Amino acid sequence: MKSIATSVLLFVIAAALVSVVAVILLTRGGAKAGDTTPTNVSIVGGSQTIEISAKGGYSPQSTTAKAGTPTTLKIKTSGTFDCSSALSIPKLGYQTILSPSGETVVDVPPQKAGTVLTGLCSMGMYSFTIRFE
Amino acid sequence: MMTAASIQTYTLRVNGMHCKACVFLTESELAEHPKVVSAKASLRSRSVEVSGDFGDRPLDEIARDLSAFLSEHSLSATAQGKHVAWDEFGVAVPIAIGCAALFVLLQEIGVVNLVSGDTVTYGTAFLVGVIASLSTCMAIVGGLVLSISATFARSGDRTKPQALFHVGRVASFLVLGGVIGLLGSAFRLNSTGTFVLSLSVALFMLALGINLLDVFRWASPLQPSMPGFLSKRTLGAANLTHTFTPALVGGATFFLPCGFTQAMQLYAVSTGSPVTGALTMFSFALGTLPALAVLSFTSLAVRTRTKQGVFFKTVGLLVILFAVFNVVNSLAAIGVIEPVFNW
Repeated sequence: MKSIATSVLLFVIAAALVSVVAVILLTRGGAKAGDTTPTNVSIVGGSQTIEISAKGGYSPQSTTAKAGTPTTLKIKTSGTFDCSSALSIPKLGYQTILSPSGETVVDVPPQKAGTVLTGLCSMGMYSFTIRFE
Repeated sequence: MMTAASIQTYTLRVNGMHCKACVFLTESELAEHPKVVSAKASLRSRSVEVSGDFGDRPLDEIARDLSAFLSEHSLSATAQGKHVAWDEFGVAVPIAIGCAALFVLLQEIGVVNLVSGDTVTYGTAFLVGVIASLSTCMAIVGGLVLSISATFARSGDRTKPQALFHVGRVASFLVLGGVIGLLGSAFRLNSTGTFVLSLSVALFMLALGINLLDVFRWASPLQPSMPGFLSKRTLGAANLTHTFTPALVGGATFFLPCGFTQAMQLYAVSTGSPVTGALTMFSFALGTLPALAVLSFTSLAVRTRTKQGVFFKTVGLLVILFAVFNVVNSLAAIGVIEPVFNW
């Protein structure tokens, strides 16, 4: 009897914790989706530049860019020592460790419309996507 | 009147048997008992068949008598049946879920953002280490520490192998930090190499986690240990496995794909100085020590036998969760699947 009561109590506490986490994850996800940040993409004279900042994750998490345009990816770090500095973009076969503070430039060849480039950290828990249209 | 010697065979359960070396150790130590004619131990069933003349003494007593001859194990007369304590899961499952939720919460809070500033001092390296040990790196290195520590603790080894793991880790960071500072380049695995490494570690953790649950006995022989022929020659091998392996594994954590470690290694390389490189990585490793130490010595807090069952099941579940997490992330990192966890 006692052990069943203990189990039930523990399950209730665990469920409460999980709910708290779920709420945080869902509300945060909403905020990021509504994040229309058009300003990290700029096109100057036929050449496209996409800016992404890397610190405790990548921002913005999703970007829309123009297809069929030679592109430069600029990744900015500032005091970044976490996993975001261990960046890899599998589709480009690109892998590097970003320096803690500064800007790293990646050349991206023109991408076909509908392509989605995903960049992630070495442990796979931070990522960003760039959708080319 | 002297009774004619009547050899009988008894099957006893061996407690604390977890590797091939234990099999040889148990057999040879039992053979030294004057009444024992032969002893054949089995890792798969964690038991030993002892043949000897013990007269009419009850099994319990024989077990106790023989246990005195064993240096690292003990024998008990419990029945052979597969006794799985399912009720312990009733407590272990919610605790494991709760811990996992806390882990996610910790990442959501963005503990990672506490590090700022551009210059790297030894103090910064230490701080980065502390934060790294609370971040998702905990799933890789922490999960490994937890799985190995709990596995050793279950056989009664609660302090030495764990302490040696930490010594091995900190020492390797010091030495290898100096090496990469001197060489001016770090040992960088390409994405395939990283994938193979992290997947192997994750699968290894998965096996240990399943074993900790004490539900499937078949998983026990899967644990890597010293090859049989090595152990048979030198009986000191049982000690070797418990001493050498944890220190080696601790040292090998230098190569695990923890983003923080890699960022620190890059800095160490950029200094071009073996001393700075060594001390930087050393400070980083020290920073990770408190959290990892807590993970590895939690078993010390659990004393009673009843609580131990729950404890190891909880740890087993957590290790399995971490292992699955790492497998998913490894597949995402190599581009096989889309990233699942994003915070």
